[in-house]
Amino acid sequence: MSVGSLIAGGFGAVLTPTGIFLMLVGVAVGIVFGALPGLSATMAIALFLPVTYAMASTDAMTLLMALFIGAISGGLISAILLRIPGTPSSVATCFDGHPLVAKGQAAKALGVGVVFSFLGTIFSTILLMFLAPQIAKVAINFGNFEFFSIAIFSLTMIATLSSGNMVKGIIAGVLGFMFSTVGTDAIEATQRFTFGQTTLKSGFDMLAVMVGLFAVGEIIAAAETSHHQDKEEITQPSMKGVKGFGFSLREFFGQGWNAIRSAVIGMGIGILPGIGGGTSNMLAYTVAKNSDKHPEEFGTGRIDGIVASETANNATIGGAMVPLLTLGIPGDTTTAMLLGALTLHNLTPGPLLFENQADVVYGIFAAMLISSVIMLFMEYFGLRVFVRLLSIPKYILLPCILVLCTIGAYNLKNNMSQVIACIMFGVIGFAFKKFAIPSTPFILGFILGPLCEQNYRRGLMRTNGNFVPFLTAPISAVFLGVAAFVIILAATKPLRAKKKAEKMAKAANPAK
Amino acid sequence: MSKKLTFKRCRDLILGVVLLALGIFYTIYAQQIKTRPKLTPSYSSARIFPTLLGILLIILSVCLIIQGIRAFKSNEEEETKKLSRVDLLSIALTFAAMIVYIILLPRIGFILSTVIYLFAQITILAPSEKRNLLQFAIIAVVFTAITFVAFRIGLSQMLPRGPIEALLGF
Repeated sequence: MSVGSLIAGGFGAVLTPTGIFLMLVGVAVGIVFGALPGLSATMAIALFLPVTYAMASTDAMTLLMALFIGAISGGLISAILLRIPGTPSSVATCFDGHPLVAKGQAAKALGVGVVFSFLGTIFSTILLMFLAPQIAKVAINFGNFEFFSIAIFSLTMIATLSSGNMVKGIIAGVLGFMFSTVGTDAIEATQRFTFGQTTLKSGFDMLAVMVGLFAVGEIIAAAETSHHQDKEEITQPSMKGVKGFGFSLREFFGQGWNAIRSAVIGMGIGILPGIGGGTSNMLAYTVAKNSDKHPEEFGTGRIDGIVASETANNATIGGAMVPLLTLGIPGDTTTAMLLGALTLHNLTPGPLLFENQADVVYGIFAAMLISSVIMLFMEYFGLRVFVRLLSIPKYILLPCILVLCTIGAYNLKNNMSQVIACIMFGVIGFAFKKFAIPSTPFILGFILGPLCEQNYRRGLMRTNGNFVPFLTAPISAVFLGVAAFVIILAATKPLRAKKKAEKMAKAANPAK
Repeated sequence: MSKKLTFKRCRDLILGVVLLALGIFYTIYAQQIKTRPKLTPSYSSARIFPTLLGILLIILSVCLIIQGIRAFKSNEEEETKKLSRVDLLSIALTFAAMIVYIILLPRIGFILSTVIYLFAQITILAPSEKRNLLQFAIIAVVFTAITFVAFRIGLSQMLPRGPIEALLGF
């Protein structure tokens, strides 16, 4: 089938009455989750998974992609109006967004944010549509060596980059990996760490682990702070006399280069495992600031800052979908959740998906494009409704979310086993928070662990115990080499920082 | 500067010791995994990865313990917000409410247990000046009704059954 007819087929599959309805609901709910501080894209997808159990796979993915896009963009509402980022993806949006509100230009700030969110998503989705099939064509030849090395590479990136403390990052990854070894071994069919429990034979369910860690853990953590609610008064932005999206065409074209650069940064960060929207918006903002003629004006209400942050974080979506769809490797928690959703619908992401279920893949692409158009209009023109929803108190919202998590976990096996697992992982998630252990490496260790282990063992069986082919297969060698480089770089970072500090001290006090 | 024994000060130390114990237990237990040497050679047996992971965790937890001791010795201590008694109580109650909820669910069914849980949990989390029990009860009942209708009828999924479900004919 030609690419053209595949794309047309994708739009056809999504543009049904059901599909359009699902996208409208998904984008709206996503924006609310993004806008509410403490709720995230990951949680939105977790909660809507049970709703998709009974749906056709294209409908399910349509809804989840709409939620993803809405939630990443929705963070800008609270970032601009409250100066609190709704999600980590919108941290840099606060810097120039709120000063603009203080100047009475709320409509302009929001308009710029929404329009460039939209452009970021569209840019990255189109790039994804061209890149992903090509990568899938290469990846179809990948064997045990390549998949082992890619899994090792991803785990290394995630463990070293996702938190300030590398030891804790690696510990989290190792713990996740350890949890994945519970159950029946896929190669030898022997029991591992099941302690004679029948329910443990099939291992821990990926979704129960994620919902527990991210949703239930979040609720227990909220119990700590919910008594001191900050009484933020949200001002409804005045839209009187505002034409279009509140900014002029000249201002729009003035941002061209900044937007393209930020979109490329966002896309690139998205493709790399372990660093997601939380990093890309900050990086794009810093680059925009440093390459500007007047960096001192940043933070006082320049639209450039909003453009950089919002274009980059939404472009990260398309980037993160590349390794997920082509290799089956999630780079962050949101795509990990999407992996869970795909598996639930008996779809195995990876190169074969493009051959066997190209209709689903192109349905996802179409859903991403249409959802961003819906997001553009819904977020800007429905803003007053979303702002009103920001005042729903957390003490009502969180218990309701827990009930939805429970339903989702119950429906995984139609018994209580996964509900219990879910609460257990919630407690682990809370403990992680208290001990400052990052949970992203844990989740990815849990998901990538089996991929890494099975490909290693199968690979060795093919070579009769010889490890050399792992190092001589070119693609495998590249990934292992980069992984080794990242480890060395991260391990020597404190040493280099010390040397630099000494040098600085010497330069400052030459007399000593 | 006085050296107080706060949670934050010895956080990494506690964590390191707990993980060290876990690592040792896991490594020892990994050696009990049954392998099939005739079927799979020892270099790719089911024991390999658990053993490696266990040893890795032991090494990492020792690193963490060293980090923890260093942090403990240094006088740099950030001012941290101390947990008040109310906060601790509300964490404990939240946790208790969840446990009771999953105990009740299979016994008295989705509708009854969810109404009870929601009411209790909202009351626990709400700041005392906003505590409006009637409002909370209405929210609990309405939300339970909506989810029951949406999931059981709309999406025809299974939910734990109890007396009220039986009465309604589900």
